[in-house]
Amino acid sequence: MLLFCAASWCPTAHAQTPPANPAAAPVYKDFVDEAGRTVHVPQPVQRIVSLAPSLTETIYALGLQDRLVGDTDYCDYPPDAQKKPKVGGAINPSLEQIVALRPDLVLVTKNLNLLETVHSLDSLGISSYGTDTNTVQQIISSTQRLAEVLGVPEAGATLGADLERHLADLRQRLNGLPPRRVLFIVWSDPLISVGQGTFIADAMRLAGATSIVDSAQDWPHMSLEEVVRLQPDYLVFAAPHSDSGQNDFDVLAERPGWRGLDAVRNRRFAVISDAVNRPAPRIVSAIEDLARQLHPEAFSAHPDDKKEKKIPPPAHLKRSFRVLDSSSGDSALLEVCACAL
Amino acid sequence: MNSHARSSAFADSHPVGTAGDFNSDIRLSVEQVSYAYSANPTQAPLFTLEATSFQARPGEIVAIIGPNACGKSTLLKLIAGALAPLSGRVLLNGFVTHTLPHRARGQRIAMVQQESPLLFPSRAWEFVLQGRHPYGRALRFDTEEDILIARNALAQVGAEHLSDRLMDQISGGEKQRVILARALAQQPLLLLLDEPTLHLDIGAQVDLLETLRRLASANRYTVVVVTHELNLAGQYADQVALFQKGKCLRVGPPATVFQRELLEQVFQTPLTVELGSSGRPRVNVPSAK
Amino acid sequence: MRPLTLSRLLLHCAILSGVLFVVVVIALKLGAVPVSLYGLGHDLLRVLFRQTSQLSSEYQLIIFDIRLPRILLGIFVGASLSVAGASFQALLRNPLADPYVLGVSSGAAVGAIIALIVEPHLDLAPAVAALLTPVGAFLGAALTVTAVYFLGLREGQIDSGTLLLAGIISASFLSAIIMFFMSTLTGGNYRGMAFWMMGELSTPPQRIVSLVIRFGFFLAAGIIYTTASDLNLLLAGEKEAMHLGVDVRRVRFVVYIAASLLTGLAVSVSGAIGYVGLLVPHVMRLLFGSDHRILLPTAALGGAIAVVVADTLARTVISPSELPVGAMTAIAGAPLFLYLMRRGLT
Repeated sequence: MLLFCAASWCPTAHAQTPPANPAAAPVYKDFVDEAGRTVHVPQPVQRIVSLAPSLTETIYALGLQDRLVGDTDYCDYPPDAQKKPKVGGAINPSLEQIVALRPDLVLVTKNLNLLETVHSLDSLGISSYGTDTNTVQQIISSTQRLAEVLGVPEAGATLGADLERHLADLRQRLNGLPPRRVLFIVWSDPLISVGQGTFIADAMRLAGATSIVDSAQDWPHMSLEEVVRLQPDYLVFAAPHSDSGQNDFDVLAERPGWRGLDAVRNRRFAVISDAVNRPAPRIVSAIEDLARQLHPEAFSAHPDDKKEKKIPPPAHLKRSFRVLDSSSGDSALLEVCACAL
Repeated sequence: MNSHARSSAFADSHPVGTAGDFNSDIRLSVEQVSYAYSANPTQAPLFTLEATSFQARPGEIVAIIGPNACGKSTLLKLIAGALAPLSGRVLLNGFVTHTLPHRARGQRIAMVQQESPLLFPSRAWEFVLQGRHPYGRALRFDTEEDILIARNALAQVGAEHLSDRLMDQISGGEKQRVILARALAQQPLLLLLDEPTLHLDIGAQVDLLETLRRLASANRYTVVVVTHELNLAGQYADQVALFQKGKCLRVGPPATVFQRELLEQVFQTPLTVELGSSGRPRVNVPSAK
Repeated sequence: MRPLTLSRLLLHCAILSGVLFVVVVIALKLGAVPVSLYGLGHDLLRVLFRQTSQLSSEYQLIIFDIRLPRILLGIFVGASLSVAGASFQALLRNPLADPYVLGVSSGAAVGAIIALIVEPHLDLAPAVAALLTPVGAFLGAALTVTAVYFLGLREGQIDSGTLLLAGIISASFLSAIIMFFMSTLTGGNYRGMAFWMMGELSTPPQRIVSLVIRFGFFLAAGIIYTTASDLNLLLAGEKEAMHLGVDVRRVRFVVYIAASLLTGLAVSVSGAIGYVGLLVPHVMRLLFGSDHRILLPTAALGGAIAVVVADTLARTVISPSELPVGAMTAIAGAPLFLYLMRRGLT
């Protein structure tokens, strides 16, 4: 027993030294992350581990997927991300796996990851950069800042500008239109929606809708009575396919009490991609999709508009995302590309 | 007997009274001891024990008799020092039992009472060794001397053959003997027994009392027994204390206490008393009409 | 007649220590990242001889900064919970007593959560702030033990059945409070429901907390060990123990405080892990008898073995994801408990 204690004292004294790199003295640059921490980022950042699906998507959007050496079990978009080495869950990743991948930088987000994980990485001498995105604007600026940290500021600027352009276009179309009152359904049993402070609520706003849920909690449990009293105009579901979204609605409509909602009796619901659940660049296309379903008049009046509209891709981006256009029930492949600089 | 250890344990406590009025022949002195118990401080006491006095010498057996709930067990606890008397005091060789430190008390006073059910039954020899607890320091292991004393104690009660048996696998009478052996292992001056004959058959009862008398005279114990068995008390006790509703009606040799009118008044039933051949009284129930 | 002797005690402890050592070595070997046994032995020697620069740094990190601290944490948590369990069983004269069943673990968790809520509002040095959680857990444990004890009294005596009921109700109530906290607290870092209610060893605590855990264990377990003979007698009954020279009041008070401290320390770093405090003492009693002079040390070693094994399984069965340790102890513990019950142990 005493031997153990003695042995345990020795190694922890070495904990603070960063992994030894005999090749060259590493260069560091300091950044302040979105949690207010000062992070020593090795330059260049060659090996990245992402501990959140949204961050993985962002890395792909910035074209840095070749530098991504590990991500979580839940990182499934784009499909290529599923092939990366896994380090476990977002909340409970395996520290051993992370260390074994020898990352230069680990990406975390305050929305999902635990402070304990960050502390553990610190004590192991592994740098971690954290994001904190509670509005769509923050998602865009966070992406740009992340691009700077990772050494690709141009890609970040371009992506950001593109997203801004889409949002500006949307703002123009929806100008003057009264927002729809919606209930965004995270989970139906128990009924969970989103609080006003979340990026999802913000996404609603940008799509010309307001969430009827007025709660300071992020994931408030709603009572059906309250929802019936508030009578939302639309129910909004997020689903990987439009079919499962349709299914979600049908199942819900069968439940007792839900017929009390006008939206249910008149089948007023919208299904958008589950991209809305992740604070990543892809959320913008989900916002557009929702706007289209809630305010079709804003889009059909536009002279350039077609049933299956293709958002013109900026020429220098070259990866594709799959976005659902549920109003037609088909999936339209939009060529939106990310550039690998 | 390790009298050296005993006297050193007395270092912190002092005998009560001056050397002059300390009668060296008297070991146990119960002086005007009374007690009251009430569940609620504002209400009248549910139970009282009125001032009681008697004395006992080494080698004597005192029997405390009386109907149920008359304070017999409470008196025993007061003698043992487990309860503090409301007034008066109990002296053992001049020391107030209640104020003795725990260890010192364990070395002088041994109690045999109805046992709580054993959680993890131990072997008889383990059980008896518990009696050596007051003599060791914390974190002690049993010494050769302890083992010898424990074995001796079992032999004295005639239970050596039970040594390796589990406590929950022996009969009531056998268990009683082992419990007595544990008390003997404490090498006490005072041996207190609370209704030891309760679950025993007549043979075992006689056996127990015979053993007590033998031990009392051989080892010079002072024994105080609370019992229901009038005839055993009459046969074996040197003194009998008769109680009714918390009041001690009479204390003395059996012949003076076993008076028919007194007993009938206390026990509320017709009785007859006859004097046996040995000079000891026997109580009989007259035949029903 | 074979009374316990010092040599027998040391022999049994040595055997168990040997088992623990083997378990630790296996635990060091297993994990999400493979490690060879030979290499491991070699490296341990290197560490002892301070030649650490020859090890690859990731390897060193994994073994010495991740696995070994985690294993050591498991050892102390397991030992603490087992000794606390054995103590409660003796004091309360109830074979089903253990910190988890009696609600003491949940009380410690509530205390720790409250400490976490309060901590940002106090301006404390980081070292002191880190200690606030174990202190809160200890207070929560002590208060719960007191409450359960008084609820379990009946006419001034501990009644086994009433006590158990009081414990179960307290555990239930306190778990509900934990769930309430977890549902309504926003911001801050409260570790999540799975941590508090099922236990987790995946995040090593800060150094000062580790030191407090280890020191606290030896202190509290040592204190309890000095009352080992008294506890033996207490098992025979409080009245009997008193007449045999045991200062029942003092022993009860001291052991309650010490056992609460052990529980509080364990829960504050690992959440509420169940079944360890309940079953390890029983198994050790089966093997070595119920004399506390041997039961307490063997329970400590046995608890350490149990938690290290459970934790190793928890982090390897669905690698690289992890199960909470408490889930593992429950999966293994419940059938074992049933088996012991059938054997008529209690």
